[in-house]
Amino acid sequence: MNMTTLARAILLTLGLLAQPVLADDKDLPVPADEFVYCTVCHGVQLMGNPIIEAPRLSEMEDWYVERQMMAFKKGWRGTHERDANGIEMQPMAAALDDRQIKEVATFVSATRSQIPPQTLVGDAANGALLYQSCAACHGATAEGNQSLGAPALRRLNDWYLARQLRNYRDGLRGKNSADTYGVQMAATAALLRDDRAIRDVVKYITNLPTEESHR
Amino acid sequence: MDTNNLSRRRFLGLIGAAGGSTAVYQVSRAMGIMQDSGPVAMLDLQRAAGSGKKVAVLGAGIAGLTVAYELERAGYDVTVIEASKRLGGRCLTLRHGDLVDELGNGRICNFDDDPEMFFNAGPARIPGHHMRVLHYCRTLQVPLQVKANFNRMAYVHEQEYNGGKPVRIGRYLADSRGFLSELLYKAVDKNAFDQPLSEEDKERMLEFATSFGDLNPNGIYKGTRRAGYKSGGFRTPAEYHSAMDFSELLNSKYWRRVYWTSQNPDWSEPLMEATGGMDNIIKGFVRNIRSPILSNAQVQSVHKRQDGVDVVYNHKGERRQLRADWCFNSIPSHFMVGIPNNFSTDYATGLAAMRHSNFFKIGLQMKERFWEREGIYGGGTDTDQMINEIWYPSHGIHGKKGVVLGAYTFDPNQSGFFERMTPEQRIQYAAKCGDNIHEGYSGYVEAGVTIPWGRMNHMMGCGSHLPGDAHDRYFKLLQKPDGHHYMIGDQISYHSSWQEGAFASAENALLDFDARVRDDAAVSNLG
Repeated sequence: MNMTTLARAILLTLGLLAQPVLADDKDLPVPADEFVYCTVCHGVQLMGNPIIEAPRLSEMEDWYVERQMMAFKKGWRGTHERDANGIEMQPMAAALDDRQIKEVATFVSATRSQIPPQTLVGDAANGALLYQSCAACHGATAEGNQSLGAPALRRLNDWYLARQLRNYRDGLRGKNSADTYGVQMAATAALLRDDRAIRDVVKYITNLPTEESHR
Repeated sequence: MDTNNLSRRRFLGLIGAAGGSTAVYQVSRAMGIMQDSGPVAMLDLQRAAGSGKKVAVLGAGIAGLTVAYELERAGYDVTVIEASKRLGGRCLTLRHGDLVDELGNGRICNFDDDPEMFFNAGPARIPGHHMRVLHYCRTLQVPLQVKANFNRMAYVHEQEYNGGKPVRIGRYLADSRGFLSELLYKAVDKNAFDQPLSEEDKERMLEFATSFGDLNPNGIYKGTRRAGYKSGGFRTPAEYHSAMDFSELLNSKYWRRVYWTSQNPDWSEPLMEATGGMDNIIKGFVRNIRSPILSNAQVQSVHKRQDGVDVVYNHKGERRQLRADWCFNSIPSHFMVGIPNNFSTDYATGLAAMRHSNFFKIGLQMKERFWEREGIYGGGTDTDQMINEIWYPSHGIHGKKGVVLGAYTFDPNQSGFFERMTPEQRIQYAAKCGDNIHEGYSGYVEAGVTIPWGRMNHMMGCGSHLPGDAHDRYFKLLQKPDGHHYMIGDQISYHSSWQEGAFASAENALLDFDARVRDDAAVSNLG
């Protein structure tokens, strides 16, 4: 496949072409100046930008955002030399104080954008079997469970989910013993035998029914 | 019709009425009115018909400000929307107190509060054939000065060459030409060519080789005074450098890397720079533009209509919409993927296929101009260390202090190496590299800025290009409008990463736009 066809195929699957507008965007949050930084990479309303490899964050749970920002800030995440994307993110969190991290979490959870299109090929049926070990924490429909500290997974970019599963498996994330949830997740990700298993489980997750994002 | 009185412009108007905008465009090219290099004709844009035709310009860099400047003069109601708090895009000059707006690593420039202490973090060089830059500098009255880019007194430095000791570029060049000439001389002398040379040609070739490399009468290179003085030459007799070892010279990598620096048209001396900082070009535009230029205004969506373009942007904590008749968009292509739009499929595909580069620069304020004591005035030293280059300022000669370029990397891996450090670590690293070239270099460093363009706010990269066959497929498409929307910026030129490319993209869009406007006017006149 030549570059052009490849680029086109990627775009079509990523749904980057002719993005429809959200029906009514009057209520969308306008980021405070200090949080415009987030949108530079993660896109308008944190819709994600696969070219910059910045995932969609729209409507992510504020408690989960806060925890991950703290993980970046403490260097639990985004410090492994092979975690290029994490390294890019890490200083962003490190530059914020605890109050700003709470505020950015509130902003992130208020953003809205379309559910991202699927880009990976995988066997959802096999993924369903693999997902059983995930369901205990993340819920049968991957809706998340705050009391267990497990975020929703359904509206994340599939390429981002797959990358994070690989990061957990390969020791790029969840290696610091103080990062309780991360360590737990790394142990679970180790159950996924290979990249194919990762693609299958991600396929299953992104296929799960989801009520249309709040609008 | 009296064709003798038919002006070129009127002729083009008639062609436009008959053949549409592309006809005007093509005929203009054929008539030599639009030149791609060489003197630039002033854009002679048709005045806006009536009033209130709105133009949205996205991005206040070189391309956006050019469009704003020209269309304001043509009577349009122009609004410039810039995401950053700063105008100028990558045309950035850093001085005392300026914010270096790197994501996660924001720093304030700690140079002395002195107009001579500045660093061109983006474009820094203007060659004589970049006629558009020069045209606008003349028009906007931006003073220029000569900037030495290449200096035979500066050094070639390689860790594995000449025991890691720097060699003057002039000596390196003289010896390499000498050895090359000697080989040529021998080959000619022995008739070692497929086609025998005529006696006359042979004679000339031998003379050429002798002169090119400064060979002795027997065609042997024994060193040359072109390599520079080893000692003396004024009060005492001159002693010249002897020839270096040829195989050692071949072992060096300088010839592979930047031997041709001064032969690249974009780097051929004499180059120029804006006196006092390259951003004086931006200030020149701002002085001459009355239309609103909104900073801290980030575009949220771009949607084409049948007869215009709607732009939604955030400004002062509010979401606003600009219902424009035309839109000129210089937002980096890699950001457009994260901004909702309704571009046509091919157009969006082309934009998303673009790949951006991530150049990296360091500027170091030195408390003494120690390089001048080594006979170096301007130009640059080349090294195979991660910093690549050291540039010495062409301004402020014999002043107390100066700002040198302490690193300039183009390769993504090299830039990434620096990006992963904190600004302080980068400066420390670059200072250490300098110690291998100039004795006591790091001790002179008293302030510094680091600019990784791949990490700069509202940039996340610099010049973009379409890789492989994507260029053939999409570039010409992106040079054309999608409805009433034009992409501009150096990304839409054959000279990405250069200001001339940004100017050329603006000119390209404005000429197409003007042809359409004239076309419409001609049609309505006929109707």
